[in-house]
Amino acid sequence: MCTRAVSGLAHYLEREGLPTTVIALIRPHAAQLRPPRALAVPFELGRPFGAPEAPDFQRRVLLEALSLLERTDGPILVDFADAPPEPGSGLASWSAPIEAEEIAGDFSDPRVRTDAIKSEITALRPMRDQFVLEHGGRQFDRITPLTLDQIIDLIQGFILDPSIENPMPAFALRQTVKFATDDLKHFYYQAGLAGAGRITDIELDNWFFGNTLAGDLVLRLKAGFLSSSDAEMRLFAERSLVPSHQAHRVPRANWAV
Amino acid sequence: MYPNDMPEPFRGNLLNQKMPDYEETPCAGGPPLTMRRISMISTAGLHRCQEPPFVPGRGEFRLIPDDTNIADLITSHVAPNFDRTGMMRDINTVFPIDRLRELEKSGAIASVAANHYGFMGATPPTEHVELAKNLATDMKADGVDGVLLAGV
Repeated sequence: MCTRAVSGLAHYLEREGLPTTVIALIRPHAAQLRPPRALAVPFELGRPFGAPEAPDFQRRVLLEALSLLERTDGPILVDFADAPPEPGSGLASWSAPIEAEEIAGDFSDPRVRTDAIKSEITALRPMRDQFVLEHGGRQFDRITPLTLDQIIDLIQGFILDPSIENPMPAFALRQTVKFATDDLKHFYYQAGLAGAGRITDIELDNWFFGNTLAGDLVLRLKAGFLSSSDAEMRLFAERSLVPSHQAHRVPRANWAV
Repeated sequence: MYPNDMPEPFRGNLLNQKMPDYEETPCAGGPPLTMRRISMISTAGLHRCQEPPFVPGRGEFRLIPDDTNIADLITSHVAPNFDRTGMMRDINTVFPIDRLRELEKSGAIASVAANHYGFMGATPPTEHVELAKNLATDMKADGVDGVLLAGV
């Protein structure tokens, strides 16, 4: 959807006389929307400059996109030919930062489940803190002002009662829950990346949704949303909570609580 | 994930979504790249962690002044189907501020603009029509004559 957004903005800004150049991750969208200048890149969604910690490659992509600014024979759609560099061959294989809990265990009491997730978080915190320290202090789990314990209580509480008090009243409750879910995911992903060997985002998704209690909670949350009588809630859950390649893990609605 | 690797029906829904119908927009001219002042727009949902997160459907952006502490940048993009590990490891994967500064230093561009802009790409483009006019005014006032737009 982002190729749609950047292509639209390029049209609007260029009409105001500002030369624009677009990095397009979804080539068919750029071909259809025809922004004045676009560089189609054969990279993963989420990586418009190819790969992290690859400054030479990122600079090449950036320069090739910027060089299009000098052309006025638009609409221009140029293909960037090269695939992004592979992670360093010296990297070790990845191993999960904590042993997987038995997520099919007896968590019929929600308090037992939330306590178990909080213990999981405590075990992961040193890895997450290490990753943050090694990456300039950036903490991706700061969308909400909530602590992780509050986030777990909010998500579990919302599953049990979708009309619970909203700790961020400037937003719709479902939106607050979504922000909280992303803070939770970002905490786990930063922990998972600490000292990482070779791991892809899909493998990290597999770990989070398949092998952690927090991932299991998010799957239950989505199931709860999907069982709502509110069509807007169902649509929101469908589009925003769980990656498409993890959708098969979402439990049947009556398993959500 | 690459779009073609997404399972159906998600892949089809993404690739076949309804698109606005734009008339051709003539390209604006300008000097050689070495004389241009460049601003960046990212639709990765980037904003400073002190600011409110993005809400889907709202036509809005977050200012990213060039002197922003990059450690403060986070994302509140709504979509779950794009890689976030790249930007967690290196913000230049989505917002190449370090690379742009290197190009300024080497003389490949004239200068880096005073401001950059964070958008949330899941917003329908029509929500940005009026906002883009104000944005263009601000950019021109800063002397910007090249805008890089990068989606995720």
